[in-house]
Amino acid sequence: MAMRLRDTPIQSKLMSIILVTCAVVLSVMCAAYILLGSNAYKDILKSNVSTLGDVIAANSTAALAFEDQEDAEEVLSALKAEENVIMAAIYKTDSSIFATYPPDTAISLFPKMQDRNLYWYEGNFLYGFQRITQKSEKLGVLYIKTDLKTMYAQIKKFILIGLALIAGSMFIAYVISKLLQGTISEPILELEQTAKVISEKGDYSVRAVKQGNDEIGALTDAFNQMLTQIQSQNEEITSFNQKLEQKVEERTSELQHQKDFVETIINSSVDLIAVFDNSLNYIMLNQRAAEYYKTPSDQLIGKHILEAFPQVEKSGMYDDLTKALKGEYIHNPRYRSPILNMSFANYYIPLKDNEDVIYGVLTIGHDITKIVEANEKLEKVNAELMKSNRDLEQFAYVASHDLQEPLRKIQTFTQLLDTHSDDKAQTKKYQEKINQSSARMKQLIQDMLNFSRISNSEEAFEQTDLNLVLENLIIDFELLLREKKAVINYPNLPVVPGIPLQLSQLFSNIINNSLKYTDNRPVIDITCDILKPVEVSQHPSLRKDVPYFKIQFTDNGIGFEPQYSEQIFAIFQRLHGKQSYSGTGIGLALCKKIVDNHHGLIYGEGRPGLGATFTIILPGENLNAS
Amino acid sequence: MARPGLILTALFLFGSLSFQAQTLTSVEYKVKAVFIYNFIHFIDWPQSTYEYSYDEFVIGIIGGDPFGTYIDEAVAGERIKSHRIKVQRYKSVEEIKKCHILFINTHDPEETKKILDFTAKRHILTVSDTPNFIRWGGMVRFFTVEDKIRLEINNTLARARELKISSKLLRVAIVQ
Repeated sequence: MAMRLRDTPIQSKLMSIILVTCAVVLSVMCAAYILLGSNAYKDILKSNVSTLGDVIAANSTAALAFEDQEDAEEVLSALKAEENVIMAAIYKTDSSIFATYPPDTAISLFPKMQDRNLYWYEGNFLYGFQRITQKSEKLGVLYIKTDLKTMYAQIKKFILIGLALIAGSMFIAYVISKLLQGTISEPILELEQTAKVISEKGDYSVRAVKQGNDEIGALTDAFNQMLTQIQSQNEEITSFNQKLEQKVEERTSELQHQKDFVETIINSSVDLIAVFDNSLNYIMLNQRAAEYYKTPSDQLIGKHILEAFPQVEKSGMYDDLTKALKGEYIHNPRYRSPILNMSFANYYIPLKDNEDVIYGVLTIGHDITKIVEANEKLEKVNAELMKSNRDLEQFAYVASHDLQEPLRKIQTFTQLLDTHSDDKAQTKKYQEKINQSSARMKQLIQDMLNFSRISNSEEAFEQTDLNLVLENLIIDFELLLREKKAVINYPNLPVVPGIPLQLSQLFSNIINNSLKYTDNRPVIDITCDILKPVEVSQHPSLRKDVPYFKIQFTDNGIGFEPQYSEQIFAIFQRLHGKQSYSGTGIGLALCKKIVDNHHGLIYGEGRPGLGATFTIILPGENLNAS
Repeated sequence: MARPGLILTALFLFGSLSFQAQTLTSVEYKVKAVFIYNFIHFIDWPQSTYEYSYDEFVIGIIGGDPFGTYIDEAVAGERIKSHRIKVQRYKSVEEIKKCHILFINTHDPEETKKILDFTAKRHILTVSDTPNFIRWGGMVRFFTVEDKIRLEINNTLARARELKISSKLLRVAIVQ
């Protein structure tokens, strides 16, 4: 009901208020009037009846005192004056009824006597008892019963009149309010219409028309003032917005500029730059990284490092990233990437926000592959230099020792020549000794020259047919082979990259060795195989991606103790005295040097008295290029 | 304790025996006794009839008492203003001293005249049930109509003796 009243138009509301107020006021008035009227009527009736009672009581004293019933009834008949009195009676002091009104009313209709002066309303009747006394002598009691029918009829009439009055008043109120409510509702409706137009069209230049100087007029003024304010504020906001937009645009382009600038710098970096979040997912990679990984950076962004590159888990990078996430600044000066065949100097920098919480890791990888390679080369050269130095030291020592020996012999025999110059036989013997010693010295010097030449050789490799090399050697050694009745068995040999003269020297020295260190008719068996992968893996210095040939020279010479298998390749190292077997101690050292020069291997296995086997492993591809 | 009980029983027995004989006269005189008492309330006596405020209001009976104890019972303990009401019984006029109401119980005209002569100079209400009482110069007479006792009053005489009879009383009586 309240809701409905709240939602009704203001006109109806005003009308309802006026009519309801009117109706309520009139009803209350009428009700109060009737109530007051009936109460007043009751009071008046009571007072009238009691007065009448007084008169009758006074007049009936003698009738009572002298038992004149007729007179008493006559006195009672005065009650006719009050039409509402329906019955009355006079009791004697002994409670018996002496006279009644109307006369001859049945005594049983009267109540028991009450000895007091009292009038009271009960139901639709007014009852009354009144004492009858004469000069304070109590003679009896008067009883009067009065009906209120007349009063109720009167009230009914009043109510009907009241209702008619209310209806009439309501009609008049309706007509008047209909005429007057316009002064209140019209300006409000006008205001509402204006507000509706404004809210629908958003046009704040519209103004409501003021119709009077009352509160609604003030409201209209305030509304118009508000509209003016809104309009000016709207304009302000619009211009402010424009300014703001312009500023935002400027700032955005500025930021874009800065971003482009930073991105250009980052992408121009020669270093690999990557950023990870605190779960080690890629956030950012620069152009260099994308180039290195051959993957567009947007394919890596969002991926976990191990999802993108599982191989880094054990390379140390993952551990370094994890440490950096804990706040450690990590610098790995030399990192070999398992992803790329490259070396990097890596920096892992924890990224912290304003509250010192780590939110990611910045990784910078500086390409040091060239440096590392140069370093390695340097190390290698250094090692070679050291080895050469050692060789030189050894050479100097041996030279001083081995070269001095024939020289000392020559000196001794020259002195003996001087002292024994007259003894021709002796002199000849000495001269022979001197010749032998000088020949040996020559041989020594020749061998040393060969050795040193190999060391400094910068000759280019060429495809060398080992069959040709061997065949030429057999021609060279023809006299010696005939002398020693030596046999050489050999298969078809491969073509390998190398220096032909050095490879000839290599074979020559090994064959020479076999021919030299033998007491028997020398038999040299040469075999050739491609090195099996299993055998390749037995020699860590060999490369697995290159084919190798294994060429073995097996003789039936004196052989050597297995413990000397290394020693035999050292320069000037002789296992036997010069007396037993001629040799400079340079031959096998030279072989070793040649094989090393060709990126191959050489090793010997000896069985004393049974012979020796020298195995040469040579690569089938030129390894100088890589 | 047994003695008073016996006496009471005896009184009751006598009372019930004499009831039949007494009934008519006793009811009549009982009413007349009450009427006589009621006169006190409807009639004003001059103040001079009392010398002192404690003087008694005297109801006198002359010529034999027809009321028995009724009149004594009717007035027992009653007062009119400050005056106690007293019943006095006279054998002759000479015994009358101070009296307000005098009930004259004689049908003899000579005797009645003699008594009325006595009262002529005094403020005494004379009452009787003798038929010619008013004619003889009495003031109030009782008579019976249809078993009801009615009054006949000579108000002129009462006024002459300075007795003010209430109009209410006059209304229920026959006034000469």
